[in-house]
Amino acid sequence: MTECKTSVILCTCGKQLGLDYDFLVRQIDELDSTSVVVLHDLVCQPEGLDKITELVAEGPVVVAACTSQKIKPRIDQFLSSKKKNSSLVHYVNIREHSAWVHDDQKEASEKTLAMIRGMIRRACLSEPLVVEKKDIPNHVTVIGGGIAGIEAALSLENLGYSVTLIELTDELGGHVAHLPVVAPTGKSGKEILSSRLKSLKESKNIEVLYNSHVRFVEGELGNFTIHYLSESQKEKTIRTSAVVLAMGFTEFKPIGMDEYRYGTNPDVVTQYELSQMISSGNLERPSDGKPVKDVIMVQCVGSRSEDYKRDCSKLCCTFAIDNSLEILHHNPEAQIRVIYMDIRVPFENEMIYKESREKGVDYIRGRVSMVWEKNGETYVRFYDSLLDQHFEVSPDLVVLSSAILPPDGLAELGETLGYYLEEDGHVKELYGKLRRNETRRRGVVAVGAITRPQFVSESITEAQAGALMIHNELQQGAIEKLSRGAVLSIDDCVGCSLCAQQCPRGVPLMIEQTEAEAEDEAKKILFKAAIDTLNCHACGVCQSLCPSGATQLNFLNNEQLWSEIEAVLENVGPDDPQTLCFYCEECSVSTIDIVGTRKLKYPANTRMISVPCAGRVSIIDILKAFENGASTVMIAACETDRCHVGGTGNEIAQVQVDVAREILNAIGWNGERVDMFRMFSAEPERFTNAINEMVRRAKEFGPTPVHKGTAGKWMEVSK
Amino acid sequence: MSGSVVKEIAPKRRRMLDMVMVLGGLKEESAVSLGKVNEEIATLKKELSPLLEAIKEFPSKYFDSFLVSAEKMELLENVDDVGLLTNSISQFEEAVSHSDSKSLETILQLLQKRLDSLQKKDESDTSKSEFDISVHLQKIPPLIEDIESMVSNLEDLAKSEAVDAEEDLKELVTSLSDIISTIDKSPDEALAELQKIGTKTRYGPFLRTVAQLKRGKREERINDSRFRFLLKHNVLTELYRGLILFVLSNMGSKTVIELGSLMEIPTKDIQHAIVSMIQRGEVEMVGLDHHAPVFSRVLGSVPETTLVLKRILQQLRAMEKSLEGDDKSLVATSLNQLEAIYDRLQILGVYDVTSLSSQMTELREIIDSCVESAISKQSDSDSKELKLLISAGLEAFARFRLKITLEKGPNLVSGLNVYGEKLDPERYKTIMDNYLDSELERGTLLLIIRELGASTAEDLAQKTGIPQDRVFRHLLRMKKDELLISAGEKHGYLLYDVPRTPTEAEVALQTVSTIASQLFSSINELEELVSSLEPKDIGHLANLLESISKSRDKLAKVEFRETIIASEILANVEDPIKSAVSMTYRTRARIPSTRPKVTLDDLVDVDVPQVLEEYTSMMGYAPLLGFGTIHWDSSKCLGCKSCEIACPEHAIELKPHLQMSKFFDISDSDLEALPSTRSLFYKTVRNLATARSDTDITLDEESPGFGTVEVDLWLCVACRTCVRRCPGPDTGALELELKWNLPEVVKQISSQKV
Repeated sequence: MTECKTSVILCTCGKQLGLDYDFLVRQIDELDSTSVVVLHDLVCQPEGLDKITELVAEGPVVVAACTSQKIKPRIDQFLSSKKKNSSLVHYVNIREHSAWVHDDQKEASEKTLAMIRGMIRRACLSEPLVVEKKDIPNHVTVIGGGIAGIEAALSLENLGYSVTLIELTDELGGHVAHLPVVAPTGKSGKEILSSRLKSLKESKNIEVLYNSHVRFVEGELGNFTIHYLSESQKEKTIRTSAVVLAMGFTEFKPIGMDEYRYGTNPDVVTQYELSQMISSGNLERPSDGKPVKDVIMVQCVGSRSEDYKRDCSKLCCTFAIDNSLEILHHNPEAQIRVIYMDIRVPFENEMIYKESREKGVDYIRGRVSMVWEKNGETYVRFYDSLLDQHFEVSPDLVVLSSAILPPDGLAELGETLGYYLEEDGHVKELYGKLRRNETRRRGVVAVGAITRPQFVSESITEAQAGALMIHNELQQGAIEKLSRGAVLSIDDCVGCSLCAQQCPRGVPLMIEQTEAEAEDEAKKILFKAAIDTLNCHACGVCQSLCPSGATQLNFLNNEQLWSEIEAVLENVGPDDPQTLCFYCEECSVSTIDIVGTRKLKYPANTRMISVPCAGRVSIIDILKAFENGASTVMIAACETDRCHVGGTGNEIAQVQVDVAREILNAIGWNGERVDMFRMFSAEPERFTNAINEMVRRAKEFGPTPVHKGTAGKWMEVSK
Repeated sequence: MSGSVVKEIAPKRRRMLDMVMVLGGLKEESAVSLGKVNEEIATLKKELSPLLEAIKEFPSKYFDSFLVSAEKMELLENVDDVGLLTNSISQFEEAVSHSDSKSLETILQLLQKRLDSLQKKDESDTSKSEFDISVHLQKIPPLIEDIESMVSNLEDLAKSEAVDAEEDLKELVTSLSDIISTIDKSPDEALAELQKIGTKTRYGPFLRTVAQLKRGKREERINDSRFRFLLKHNVLTELYRGLILFVLSNMGSKTVIELGSLMEIPTKDIQHAIVSMIQRGEVEMVGLDHHAPVFSRVLGSVPETTLVLKRILQQLRAMEKSLEGDDKSLVATSLNQLEAIYDRLQILGVYDVTSLSSQMTELREIIDSCVESAISKQSDSDSKELKLLISAGLEAFARFRLKITLEKGPNLVSGLNVYGEKLDPERYKTIMDNYLDSELERGTLLLIIRELGASTAEDLAQKTGIPQDRVFRHLLRMKKDELLISAGEKHGYLLYDVPRTPTEAEVALQTVSTIASQLFSSINELEELVSSLEPKDIGHLANLLESISKSRDKLAKVEFRETIIASEILANVEDPIKSAVSMTYRTRARIPSTRPKVTLDDLVDVDVPQVLEEYTSMMGYAPLLGFGTIHWDSSKCLGCKSCEIACPEHAIELKPHLQMSKFFDISDSDLEALPSTRSLFYKTVRNLATARSDTDITLDEESPGFGTVEVDLWLCVACRTCVRRCPGPDTGALELELKWNLPEVVKQISSQKV
């Protein structure tokens, strides 16, 4: 049938897997596509790795061993050290997905054989993926010269990049430079910055552009062009390979909130303005320069409010306490009252909260109802909810802890840089748990308060993380053109734009074919897709939706998956109802692996096929499974809203399943034969429950029309 | 036939057609047989003219008559509410501007005079120190007698109502005691029976308790002995509560002992039940009957006369101090009597307010004037503000709060409080200063509201110079104390008013003045409209006549001293108005509502291409290329939604709907023409199908790649964008059949016109 020959290496995992290896070796050897079968006790050890290296030289290799999550990185690393191409190695998990979860050795061996058979077919059709290297400028641009930006720039320099740091104002340090004290270090903002500013000054590879404003950005990873307005108001450009967003935050100016008289009464200031006053040593009443003895601090100004910022701004409580302590430090007699809704001090900051209470800062749970002036004095009326009383006081200074908002112009920049924003205007990270700091656009990372309000220490950590992420991509100037991803066959593209509409990363672009249009007699509006594989995260959603097979993953094309389905389900009949499970290589594989390591049991008449993302499974794949004799089909996917490729892969899969169910019901099948399940590794039972359910349905519904031979006989029936 | 064709043109196309016409410089004119329309209008005009005379005359006639009656019956003299008067004056001023009726002007002058006299009263009162309090006070005892007898009547009425209720109660009580004896034997049946009684009392907590108990039993959370216990205690107690409420609302206020004997239940149980009812705010204590508390149902609102009496009492208490000799003893006696009446009214709870209102108002007026004279006597100064302040103080002093504080305060300073603490005199002074301040402010506010009518916090702040939020707090406080009621809103601010009982005269004046200006302006408009009636005005005419008719109906309800003012005039005009309204409506129905603005003849002559070009050059796009039908070939559709995205008019949509039968109709050649994967999809479905499906599938959500294309022809402008964008095989899945382009439309319509 096929010329291709694949070698198979079977691992016994130290002779401890309860599989019938004699049977497996014999059966696999008999397959047409097998060139050689090797039985090995420890594939993951040097001898095994050597063996694989040897086999890869001959062509595709199927490694039937433990989970690829564990063994693949090891093999990849080994092969790359031997300068071999690891893209021809394919993995079947016979341990966690078979030997450890089934009691009956015979059944487990049958299942193992079927899965290896399937993978051999997939491997046979695989093409070696050539890793293309591309030299790019060893340069990164950091936007924003606050603590996060400075830290990112320094980290990147240490990693060997030259960096351009673009700062909007004429000084570095951002908000931190004006903090009199940073909890819980006890140091002032200037102290925290000083060593960093010194290294910045000394560094040869960091160029700082002051008073510069980024207008827009063009290009892609390795080839971005930053357009900015320079100090002299001229538009200039920088070519750079990656971008770090570190624009920090803006403090909300509560001018619109009349009750606080901010902007009208000079003795009403924001918390950050107070910080500036203290750190510059000017702690006095702005109106008349008299000393400040009595201070009212108002928490949650604009935060936790439907009108301004819905949620907590996280930092303001700590900042207010910092400033209170600093005022008391200068003037122990000062009276400070903090009017709060809830005090929220995370981490060790709880310590300074305690300290402030001991030092006599008065915490009043309630709200301020109004601020007014009489005879040159400021008056505040507030409500104490614990005493259920109203009070009127006349403080020297009213300090508003106003909300922390994303910086201005973020949305405009996003239009060209391609990142998404959260509902509250901060930059949206790719995936809250595992892809922090990454944006939807490859080569653009967001660090510091631009993603959410962050403490100084958090911003620094994020900046370092962001620098490492960039390093991972750029590899000091020689990026690897991503070998895995969607490849477009432009001739097949009909221009329907489904891929562009649904890609979670927005990678495909639709390009109007103006030349072809001019020649077209019917005056059609013609489009073709263009896919930048560099930005592709290889989920396969485009492939699943493409009506013409024009866009396909280069490591799992339609032909590969269909023949794998066929081979996995070979000889399946009504006596042995089988459940086919497509599982994604994100949450689902972890869940199923944990089921394996915990040795939870489930029936062996199940067959597993891995896909990069549930979104790769199209309705045709599902129908093909039934055509080849599966009794039930399931898709294992990530939880709702937790798609790891950045959005909607699992939802596209859900659509395929929903439509498939309806169609099956309509054509004389039972739609319940296909279903989709969401899971994550913390709850392995989700998988066992799901697969038990599908096995149960397979039994209950009995032989399918395919088994009974009635499938496809609709013409006779209708006549 | 031609009419129906015209009507069926979609609104959007209609608009576009109009645009083209306007650009084409066409005149706007009635199209559908103009002659006939004009004929109808002429008929209407002819029919209306005899009626119109009567209609046009009636407002002036009415106000002539109103003036006469008002003078005769001293209507205006019975209006004391300054706020209401001011309002009426501004409305009559407007009315005068619409009409040259002499009577209107006279009424306006009279109103102004009345207002002046009311406002001068204050000043004249001060000068007129001859005002003899004693004379006025003499009027009080007979009034009190009147009120007493009225209250007795009310009590009798309540009693007779109570007798009926007692019958019902007896029945309930008997069946209740029967059920109680069966609880131990058959708890389930007993519960069912109790529920029947419970539904009669309609007491919510009981019904909820029963429902909870039943659910608990059904879900086996409650075992049998627990069930019995709950039935005997909780359910029964709730039922008692229901009965108590039944008694209190139908038989008036009662003591616990009375309740016990009525319900034939130990007083201990009643006591137990009633405590929670007080907490729930269902029952309150309203008085004492030989040391036994009398309970009453908590009322949603207290009758206004009760509130007025409460205020009278406060004023009398204050006044008593400033009087001497006979006057003082008279007031003291009256005070005692009125206090007794107040208690009786409280026990009565809800009653017919109107029976008491006139006496109560009279009493209030007497006492108001007495209070005023008492104030003016004491004051030498003419300064209005000082007077206001003093009366405010008096007002404030009249209330318990201040009195008690003033009396008790010194004790607190000299002696010890219950906790054995002593009050610092300094602190006492600040407390008292604050306290007096705010009590005085409240008094001022009350006075102002009483004088000027319902006011908002903003108005009051402006008038008094007290900060608005402070005013607001006072208002809330006084509302809580039932000294004020809310009286609607103005510009989104709540209006507060003292409890008032507007007199008949005041109600009459209010109604008449609101109608006056509106009526005259309508009549003027009517005159103008009819003199040159055009078809397009028919709707306006109908509305106008309708509003005049409604005004007349309202006037017909204005009553004073049991006579309807100008009833004859109103009755005479009723028929003419009603027939005019119906005639106009009839004519309006005969004129088609969707009249095109151009004639068909005009349309035929339009040089459509030129107009379109002109429009395109002005607007940048062509609004209308013709009318057509979009055909969708499901076998070529990829479900990609490109058409929907491309459509400039949102006329085409991919609906999540699958036409299954079409899956089986696709010909082999069409299958081959489809993009490979799409074609494989259909083939696979067909390979699996055991039977041809003719059912359609409706999907819950949008599903990329699947669906049915639907075109809204009402919105489609036949621009062909969707057809051009469709990526389906060959020429695509969509096809535009350009049924009519604009010139052809014109021909089409004109050929059907004949």
